[in-house]
Amino acid sequence: MNSKSYNLFWKAVLVVTVVALMGAFYFAAKRVDYTWRWKRVPQYFFYKAELPVKADDDGIVTSIADGKAKSTVNFEAETGEKYTYKVDSETLNVSEGEDLFLGDRIGYVYSWEMGPLTLGIWTTLWISAVSGVLGLFLGIVFGLCRISKNPCLSGFAALYVELIRGTPLLVQIFIFYFFIGTVLDLDKYVAGVGALSLFAGAYVAEIIRAGIQSIARGQTEAARSLGMTATQCMVYIIMPQALKRTLPPLAGQFISLIKDSSLLSVIAIIDLTRAGREIISNTFATFEIWITVALLYLVITGTLSQLVQWMERRMAVSD
Amino acid sequence: MIKVRDLIKLFHADGSIVRAVDGVSTDVAKAEVVVVIGPSGSGKSTFLRCLNGLEPLNGGHIVIDGKDLADKKTDINVVRREVGMVFQQFNLFPHKTVLENLTLAQMKVRNRSKKEAEEKARTLLTKVGISEKESVYPSRLSGGQQQRVAIARALAMDPKIMLFDEPTSALDPEMVGEVLDVMKTLAREGMTMVVVTHEMGFAREVADRVLFMDEGKLVEEGTPEHFFTAPSHERTKLFLNQVL
Repeated sequence: MNSKSYNLFWKAVLVVTVVALMGAFYFAAKRVDYTWRWKRVPQYFFYKAELPVKADDDGIVTSIADGKAKSTVNFEAETGEKYTYKVDSETLNVSEGEDLFLGDRIGYVYSWEMGPLTLGIWTTLWISAVSGVLGLFLGIVFGLCRISKNPCLSGFAALYVELIRGTPLLVQIFIFYFFIGTVLDLDKYVAGVGALSLFAGAYVAEIIRAGIQSIARGQTEAARSLGMTATQCMVYIIMPQALKRTLPPLAGQFISLIKDSSLLSVIAIIDLTRAGREIISNTFATFEIWITVALLYLVITGTLSQLVQWMERRMAVSD
Repeated sequence: MIKVRDLIKLFHADGSIVRAVDGVSTDVAKAEVVVVIGPSGSGKSTFLRCLNGLEPLNGGHIVIDGKDLADKKTDINVVRREVGMVFQQFNLFPHKTVLENLTLAQMKVRNRSKKEAEEKARTLLTKVGISEKESVYPSRLSGGQQQRVAIARALAMDPKIMLFDEPTSALDPEMVGEVLDVMKTLAREGMTMVVVTHEMGFAREVADRVLFMDEGKLVEEGTPEHFFTAPSHERTKLFLNQVL
């Protein structure tokens, strides 16, 4: 069998396997007598909110400017005070000269609002981004401390890395929120971002340390022999090369971070996971929502990994 | 220009102490070209690396342009500005273009403007014969070209002394000539040079003085004529018999 038909054959096997798995999943769902309600899902991304517009006092409608989408209603109260209301034209419930009493509905204003899933994505994104940046910063600092000749710095960094890597993130979040958060009176978001950053920082530190140590000694020697200080050598020569080399494992770490941020739902931060749970407790659309949430995480992490691959290709010009 | 007195450099290996450089004393005058030869493991590279402080000394003194490297108050970075070094493995910065390799230290260490640094860099690239490669990355260059860029990079700092650590040892044979030519030009222009090399032809042709080292000690020194025609030590004779 030549390599082309070999590839084609096994790709076909792959497709068949995936379809079979999806089919099995579908029939399993059928067996538990589950009613799929995918139509319920979109409203949790965006929904049309209707806000009733009511008269603020007893009075009379003096004039109506009927626009295409919005209508402006001028209203004069018995006290002589003048009001102007804007409502959606098709919901206009009053006519010129009509007497209104306090609380009478003039019409509605419709607006598109972000649903809990959208808000959850946003929370997950910004928490991951902020924690990622802080984690990278912590990682670089502690990574440099790790390789420092000063025993205090290197010892402290080693302790930090061991402590964080040796305990579960969930426990760290609880300690950060309930203990440190209480002592220092921290907001739950500060505690959450803090715990995630410290967690990511420990892993990044090890990646950075390995990256720096993988750069040949000759680079340092060349830079130093040109009269550069140790700091200049690190900033201009070693770090750029180390960061480039560690881009793939760093990307993996940030993708993990995005997924790990779902654990913050235990301290009442409404991220994507928590939003999903809350929707399920209202709708019981368990399967649809969890599948949607999983796909959303996939979109986020997939985009990030595409971005990193693109960056790698761009940085490969000097190879 | 360089004064070396009783230089001692120790290495700790597997619990035992190796005297890599063991009591070497010599002087290098301005515009002198000194070639250091010796069998591998003789300490000649270590000796050279001591001269710009890449290896801290364990004893003795190295005085470069009036500054003693053994003195803790000496700022090693200031000394290194005046001492260029060329390595066996070139050690170009792979993430920088050829031009950036030449300008970075000029701007960061010598505080030159970008324009000034680039002008200097282009002059030097023309001098070593690779002006057309200024915007490529080092990985695109042959070994000989990389080494010439490395020489230009060291020269861009306007050093008073140039150290060469086996500059042709990692090159394919057909590229040795182009690098040696650049070095010969430098020597003719009056650069003070200390060269560790296995190129006996170069030593014979260019050196003002040859040092022969073995087991960390300076066994013999003299003019190339003396050295290659009438060496006085048995070790030197043995070594020359093997390499010539």
